[in-house]
Amino acid sequence: MRTFDVVRFSFRSATGFRTRTLLILLAMAIGVGAVIMLTALGEGARLYVTREFTSLGTHLLIVLPGRSETTGGPPPLLGETPRDLTLDDALSLKHSSAIRRVAPIAIGSAPVSWQQRSREVTIMGSTAELFDIRQLSMAQGRFLPAGKPTLQTAVCVLGYKVKNELFGNASPLGKWLRIGGRRFRVIGVLTPKGQSLGTDMGDIAIIPVASAQALFNTSSLFRVIIQASGRDSVARAKKAVLDTIRDRHEGEDDVTVITQDALLSTFDRIFTALTLTVAGIAAISLAVAGILIMNVMMISVSQRTTEIGLMKAIGASGGQVLRLFLSESAVLSAIGALLGVMLALIGTWTSLRLYPDFPVTIPWWSLIAAIGVGMLTGLIFGVLPARRAAGLEPVEALSRR
Amino acid sequence: MIELQGISRKFQVGNEAVHALRSVSLGVKPGGYLAVMGPSGSGKSTLLNIIGLLDRPDQGVYLLDEQNTTDLNDRQQAAVRRHKIGFVFQFFHLVPRLTAAENVELPLILAGFDADERKQRVQNALSALGIADRSRHRPDQLSGGQRQRVAIARATIMRPGIILADEPTGNLDRASGREVIDILENLNKQGMTLIMVTHDPELGRRASRRIQMIDGRIQSDKAQTHEDI
Amino acid sequence: MGFKELLKLSLGAVFSYRMRSFLTALGITVGITAVVLLTSLGEGVHRFVLAEFTQFGTNLIGIAPGKSTTAGISGAIISNIRPMTLDDAEALKRIPAVIASVPVVQGNAPVKFGGRSRRTYIFGVGPEAPSVWQFKVAKGRFLPEDDPRSPRALAVLGSKVQDELFGSRTPLGQRVRIGGERYRVVGVMESKGQMLGFDLDDAVYIPATRALSLFNRESLMEIDLLYAAGASGEEVAKKARNLLISRHGSEDFTITTQEQMLEVLGSVLNILTLAVGAVGGISLLVGGVGILTIMIIAVNERTGEIGLLRAIGAGRRQILAMFIGEAVVLASVGGMAGLAIGTGGAWLLGVAVPALPTHTPWSYVVLAELLAAVIGLAAGVLPAVRAANLDPIEALRAE
Repeated sequence: MRTFDVVRFSFRSATGFRTRTLLILLAMAIGVGAVIMLTALGEGARLYVTREFTSLGTHLLIVLPGRSETTGGPPPLLGETPRDLTLDDALSLKHSSAIRRVAPIAIGSAPVSWQQRSREVTIMGSTAELFDIRQLSMAQGRFLPAGKPTLQTAVCVLGYKVKNELFGNASPLGKWLRIGGRRFRVIGVLTPKGQSLGTDMGDIAIIPVASAQALFNTSSLFRVIIQASGRDSVARAKKAVLDTIRDRHEGEDDVTVITQDALLSTFDRIFTALTLTVAGIAAISLAVAGILIMNVMMISVSQRTTEIGLMKAIGASGGQVLRLFLSESAVLSAIGALLGVMLALIGTWTSLRLYPDFPVTIPWWSLIAAIGVGMLTGLIFGVLPARRAAGLEPVEALSRR
Repeated sequence: MIELQGISRKFQVGNEAVHALRSVSLGVKPGGYLAVMGPSGSGKSTLLNIIGLLDRPDQGVYLLDEQNTTDLNDRQQAAVRRHKIGFVFQFFHLVPRLTAAENVELPLILAGFDADERKQRVQNALSALGIADRSRHRPDQLSGGQRQRVAIARATIMRPGIILADEPTGNLDRASGREVIDILENLNKQGMTLIMVTHDPELGRRASRRIQMIDGRIQSDKAQTHEDI
Repeated sequence: MGFKELLKLSLGAVFSYRMRSFLTALGITVGITAVVLLTSLGEGVHRFVLAEFTQFGTNLIGIAPGKSTTAGISGAIISNIRPMTLDDAEALKRIPAVIASVPVVQGNAPVKFGGRSRRTYIFGVGPEAPSVWQFKVAKGRFLPEDDPRSPRALAVLGSKVQDELFGSRTPLGQRVRIGGERYRVVGVMESKGQMLGFDLDDAVYIPATRALSLFNRESLMEIDLLYAAGASGEEVAKKARNLLISRHGSEDFTITTQEQMLEVLGSVLNILTLAVGAVGGISLLVGGVGILTIMIIAVNERTGEIGLLRAIGAGRRQILAMFIGEAVVLASVGGMAGLAIGTGGAWLLGVAVPALPTHTPWSYVVLAELLAAVIGLAAGVLPAVRAANLDPIEALRAE
């Protein structure tokens, strides 16, 4: 018997019982669709986070004051240290060839007021280089001017939320507002960029770093953001930072350096693991669909006993009968899997329509895996009924009513 | 007392309307023995189904014990079938996965009898028909005659007034058929109305009254005189 | 027809098709097992996290500088214009239901003894920290009740710092150097282990005032209040808010009660458990489709039986009840097996991998079994309606 004939034969017998065939397809489609849909969601989440990270800039390193000796523990995010990470420390890092840009960050909170309106806002002190490192863009005016970072100048750049709260639709450019006890002139407004990883760049006011240190009466920095000169120089940049700071801090290793790549790959690993776990849990439903296929094939074998007897009588071998029934379950699961893929495609399409910001994407490996596992399930669970059919004695099979 | 007045029933087969019954009127007294005869397609089975409340007429009135059955709902009709009518079929219609006793027990379960009484009545019925030793066997372990006896036991377990038998011997050999007819006629002698569809003229002649159906109508209705009622 | 008879008939039908019923129920079994196992894991993690948090006590209120916004960490904890001071912490102690108040400054510094040095967390706290955070002194005593403005240079070590710097020697009375100043060790804390990845034993506790000057700060990072067990956390939080507003002139701080935090945490974890359970529930859905398929086949096969039942006086409702009953029996039996495997598996998992906390609440068990029965019910309706609506004459002719 030719393969084509085998497949056609099983196709015909599958379409003979319409309701049950449709239900088997439905079961298989739910399983395969769920697996693909969930991996697509997981992949979407991974891409989303990756995009968020790269929107912060590329080849970044973050220098935090303080260091923890418990390996694997979290970095000291809020760490205060007896020896400050100073502005001079930050500026000295520029000498390394592996480092392209350096943006020192001082952070704090202070009331910002204009005329009668006032609002408690996060104040970020930094330099002109932050603009390129964080890939910011201006809605109005310009960013902090380049110049000597140690100079205190009374200018500020507002996030769009702060601007809307204080000025409404009026243009703030050139206006003088009050931050804490000091007066600053507004020179620019950032475009809405949304919240990126903990810092809402809309609800913020950026002033020169030296002004911020004076405002908060501190000489320490919250952190330093560094852009390496290229992908290859990230490791070199990290070493340069540690060496430079150790020299300047009398041999003391008291900073932590996090590279963006390390952070990114950690997140990548976490999300991939999560996606695989969730897809695995959903794949249990494929086993359930497989059990259903086995069940229905068993029934089908006992209902078609006479038919099997007849086929044997006209010369079908046990092996051929086996192949016929196996191919019937394989055809069922394959069509079910294809339907599942279609379900998942519709699902991702709808999701992209509803939430265009969330990049739900079906990874190619999940397509192949889901269809493969689906068909394999059909084959494996088809073995038992097919063997039962192949083992029937023709005389007995024919004599049964 | 069965009273049919002007009963009609037609079926739609494809584009064609088939008149299975055309304005049939018939009265059967309690304890009667009626044979319904005629070629296939003459409406015998439809008549039996309507008498048995399995089917509803399109026109006409059917009074059973002076009660108009045509306006009973499904539940009420089921209750009437349960209590007043017993069916015996050509192909026995035993539930294959239940034992003989359990098959006989079914109507009692549907009627809500308690377990002790059910058991008692089933045993009595099976003994009366001489198949008590077969009570724990399943239908596929019984001969045709035995199966039909189980079916009769089931049809009579609720002590109905009417037994409707549709070719009860059609699937049996001569000897077993004989036995089954004897059992049914015995029940008739005890006062049950027996209505039997058959196309065996020899069987038909045994009935006290027989009607001949052709093309949905009763063509002849003859009473037999040499048999007691 | 009573319930008992119905059950018997359904069970009879289920058992007479042994292989088929077994496979059908197996589908539900796998689904329920997945759901029970996953929700057990979720619930276990839930309890684990809550226990981690409540080990600091439940009658806690935390106050941090800066009005919190939606955006994570407020810059105000790092620096601010109007500092949160030790005086604020002292003033809060005077609220009637407040038992204790702990000012907190946290930082990172090397601690040296002899030739050894270790960078650890430095907590600047008040003497009442052990009672508020519910941890115990293993050796010596905690920081004494000195004048909060000029406390002596005393330090209490976390157990890990003690091990690293002193080994088996006793640290009591020894002097350690923290960021250039010398502190006398007066006590060692009991080991408390990790709290959500944060090693509490790798820390040194010194008076808050000294920590402020060590880190060159004016403002505390947090004030923690412990209130009396009977008091309402909301009430105390309101009083604390009013008090601080009158001292600062505006609401430039954020109050979080432990109750609120646990509530938020609890609801997040509940959603997580539910989501994981729902993913497992996809199998249950497929199992339901399985019951539907098998029941439809059963109705087709047993057409003659249905016709006969109608002929001997079964009403439509009775036929309906029989087939729905059969589906429910299938699902419930499968569900029960799933429950047994699921709870057993969760228990085994808990024993085999102690790091994986599992917990199976009874309410889940009952709910899962109910869910299985409902799935059977839902899957049984369509075939049962089909069976009930069969024309008895046609059905009798089918054989």
